[in-house]
Amino acid sequence: MRLEKCWFCSSTVYPGHGIMFVRNDAKVFRFCRSKCHKNFKMKRNPRKVKWTKSYRKLHGKELTQDATFEFERKRNRPERYDRNVVENTLKAMKKIEEVRVQREAKFWEKRMKGKKSKERKEAAVELGQAIHLVKAPLAMQAEPSLTLPKVPEKMKVKVSVSKQDESQPMQG
Amino acid sequence: MIQPQTYLNVADNSGAKKPMCIRILKASNRKYANIGNVIVAVVKEAVSNMPLRKSEIVRAVVVRTCKELKRDNGMIIQFDDNAAVVINQEGNPKGTRVFGPVARESRESNFTKIVSLAPEILQIIINLLFQIENTPINNWND
Repeated sequence: MRLEKCWFCSSTVYPGHGIMFVRNDAKVFRFCRSKCHKNFKMKRNPRKVKWTKSYRKLHGKELTQDATFEFERKRNRPERYDRNVVENTLKAMKKIEEVRVQREAKFWEKRMKGKKSKERKEAAVELGQAIHLVKAPLAMQAEPSLTLPKVPEKMKVKVSVSKQDESQPMQG
Repeated sequence: MIQPQTYLNVADNSGAKKPMCIRILKASNRKYANIGNVIVAVVKEAVSNMPLRKSEIVRAVVVRTCKELKRDNGMIIQFDDNAAVVINQEGNPKGTRVFGPVARESRESNFTKIVSLAPEILQIIINLLFQIENTPINNWND
């Protein structure tokens, strides 16, 4: 069983999923789903489509260079089976995954570090520029056109009942 | 999906350029030919100074189809064009060379010669596919 990478979005292609396209010059393109295949047929560049891995990596949205990525590589030579190696690998895989997740979380934190203060600053600038649009609450109260009409607490609604309805017996 | 009236490309140097399918062989109830099937075709266009002439009737094996091909292991393969290799009555190719990638299915249907004639790139493809299919499952460390 070999898990390939989608040519377009770089996600994993599991056996039985997606499609393999062979161009006439014998270059093989694998796609994880029809979405990626369609985008390829539309001749879109995966580096310019925002949801693909290559775009995100190119634009610094994700961790690009890390030792944890080195393990996942295409090797054309099948390794000779060795029980100990397999056992150790299975252990290592879990550990590597842990490390990778941690590093990615850290990277995300770093990337989002200045975001809150930046947003606040921008909001302050906007407020400063458009302060004339904001009215004080007291001024709002004084202006009747801006407030809702006052509703009395108890409102009596007169219900007029015609004599015909009264005379008829209730049904149901 | 090759049916009568389908124009194909030729993946060899037999001299035919554009054969048109007129019959699918060994198919009494089948409408379409897929990869590895033999068809009868008429040469609609031919290269000049070659033994094959226009309007000659030949047999050919389908080696590539635009319609996706499903393998038993779940792999779905799609090619760029519909292409065939011209063969004689014995099943040997009329040309001496085969161009472009060829699916392994043609080997299974006893056209080993076509597969062996295929160019290097394509051999890699075939080997590659073969390798993928034969990789043992317990090779986690690979």
